[in-house]
Amino acid sequence: MTHSEPRAGHSAARGLSDKSIRNLFIFPTIAFLIIFNIFPLLFSLYTSFTDFRASTNAPANWVGLENYSYLLTNEFIWRNFTITAKYVLISVSGQVIVGFGLALLLNRYMPFKGLITTLLLLPMMLSMAVVGLFWKLLYDPNFGIINHSLGLGKFEWLANPDMALWAVAITDIWMWSPFVMLLSLAGLSAVPKHLYEAAEIDRAGTFYTFFRITLPLVAPILMIAIIFRTMEAFKTFDLAYILSSQPTTELIAIRLYKMAFLEWQTGLSSAFAYIVLVMVVGITMIYVKYLNKVKER
Amino acid sequence: MAEIEIRNIGKFFGPVEVLKDVSMTIADGEFVVMLGESGCGKTTTLRSIAGLESVTSGQILIDGAEVQDKKASDRDIAFVFQSFSLYPHMSVYENIAFPLRAVRMNTSDREAAVKEVADILQIGPLLNRKPSALSGGDMQRVAIGRALVRRPKALLMDEPIGALDAKLREQMRAEIKRLHISRGSTSVYVTHDQIEAMSLADRIVIMNDGILQQIGAPEEVYLRPANLFVAQFVGSPVMNVTDVALSGDARVVIGGNEQGFQFPGQVVSHLNGAPLSLGIRPEAVLLSHDAAHGAIEVETTNVEPLGSHDIVDVRVGDTVLRSRTEAGFIKSEGQKVWVGLDPLQAHFFDRDSGQALRGTN
Repeated sequence: MTHSEPRAGHSAARGLSDKSIRNLFIFPTIAFLIIFNIFPLLFSLYTSFTDFRASTNAPANWVGLENYSYLLTNEFIWRNFTITAKYVLISVSGQVIVGFGLALLLNRYMPFKGLITTLLLLPMMLSMAVVGLFWKLLYDPNFGIINHSLGLGKFEWLANPDMALWAVAITDIWMWSPFVMLLSLAGLSAVPKHLYEAAEIDRAGTFYTFFRITLPLVAPILMIAIIFRTMEAFKTFDLAYILSSQPTTELIAIRLYKMAFLEWQTGLSSAFAYIVLVMVVGITMIYVKYLNKVKER
Repeated sequence: MAEIEIRNIGKFFGPVEVLKDVSMTIADGEFVVMLGESGCGKTTTLRSIAGLESVTSGQILIDGAEVQDKKASDRDIAFVFQSFSLYPHMSVYENIAFPLRAVRMNTSDREAAVKEVADILQIGPLLNRKPSALSGGDMQRVAIGRALVRRPKALLMDEPIGALDAKLREQMRAEIKRLHISRGSTSVYVTHDQIEAMSLADRIVIMNDGILQQIGAPEEVYLRPANLFVAQFVGSPVMNVTDVALSGDARVVIGGNEQGFQFPGQVVSHLNGAPLSLGIRPEAVLLSHDAAHGAIEVETTNVEPLGSHDIVDVRVGDTVLRSRTEAGFIKSEGQKVWVGLDPLQAHFFDRDSGQALRGTN
């Protein structure tokens, strides 16, 4: 930046100075950030303490912590949290098992490895809405290929309150396991080959080597994958919204959407969004703390 | 403890033949050093013995049993890597205990074994540290400790101190020798450093281009090199090698100097007239200030003072011979001196095959 100052005078003759060009690039971004991120953030913080409804012209009344106390004591809301927690657990652990497993399989010599890896990454590159619509067809009890190939007859996946959440989670696992695989693959290939040779010389078996050498050395990068996937799963909306309308798949993001844009409880939903934000930040902090501990080892 | 025998092993990496018909026997308790330039096949041979590399042909026997098709973990051989290969996420204790835990030794035996090795290697105070907090020398002590702790049949070392600085290398060399004497384990050691090889080995194996050149005790390899490669590889400064002709009256004539050096008849009597190369170590190139019998008057071309001794270059005909003299014997280049050769320390080689030509004595 500083070295551009002396030249500013000369370039002014040619047109815009370096400084104006710099500002021209930066100001739109800052304006965009303020209008679409910072203002809504502050505005929603304010509305979370009011009874504001965006659908009416009525002025917002300050209600203090009433929205928060209502939400935190409402058992229906806790049901949404429980559903979300279950969803996060199933979906993220499924992605870790499938993704890491695939990475282990790919982390050795095989023909067409590059092609196979690329093909495995495809689900991750699709749009959530497209994946949702595809899988709705795949799960269809009458002509869906899943029931057909598993021989399940007319088994209901999405209309079955007990299965719907699993169905959504399975779709999410299909879509995002490649992400965990990609990071795990990077972690696995970073484990020096000579450590495996040392372990072989030390007479360590396959499982012992895996649990004592591979896993601890891949743990930090696997942890990063888990952090990303947990945060994403926590705020899942589109996939669950498209696939199922069961109350058992009503994740907090869906509840929040309904509260804000179907019921028009703007103030209450703002408070709800802040509670979710605090929870996500809290969970992430726990992970990051654990990640640092793993990295120290 | 074990005897290791290698029978005619060959190894290809793709189209490249890296080991060509290598055979040797390493006796129980012997310390054998494999010496050669990088890429000569010494490390591949060592890794083949350990089972980290499979051989394309030939057999490897440990205590008489063929092991070439067995996994490394089934050969009961320890290996010290040049890169140390310590497990970075484990403490020193866990690193040394790893081979014992891998075979589920019980805790009290394990602790006793680790403690014993830590005492021998004087790394007791480091047991709780991580490898990243260790110096190079300590890392190598831990790596050796991990190799010794399970009392393997044989200990293989791949340039274990090559990554250390010169002073530490000297110290670790002495330590490895002391350790070998006290434990008496069969050891195979790979290095490209001939001083390491000479000082550690019971026998030295010299390799070049995947071919075993000579096996012998350090002094044998030094005094009776089997061929030109060994002659020039072992010894510092390098042995003088020059093309010579032998005249009828047992004079060894260097090109460009007709006078030649008079050799005793019996020293050259076995040479049958094939084209010859003469190899002579700098300490056998004798310089004097006065005309000695059979010496040639020459001029010095370079003097390298090395403290304990000097290396002086003299031009004889078309060839420069390097001579090792006492410090300060020759003051400067361009000085007139008389040079003679010690016939008993002269080596003759077949110029075409490079093989040493020796009499029956």
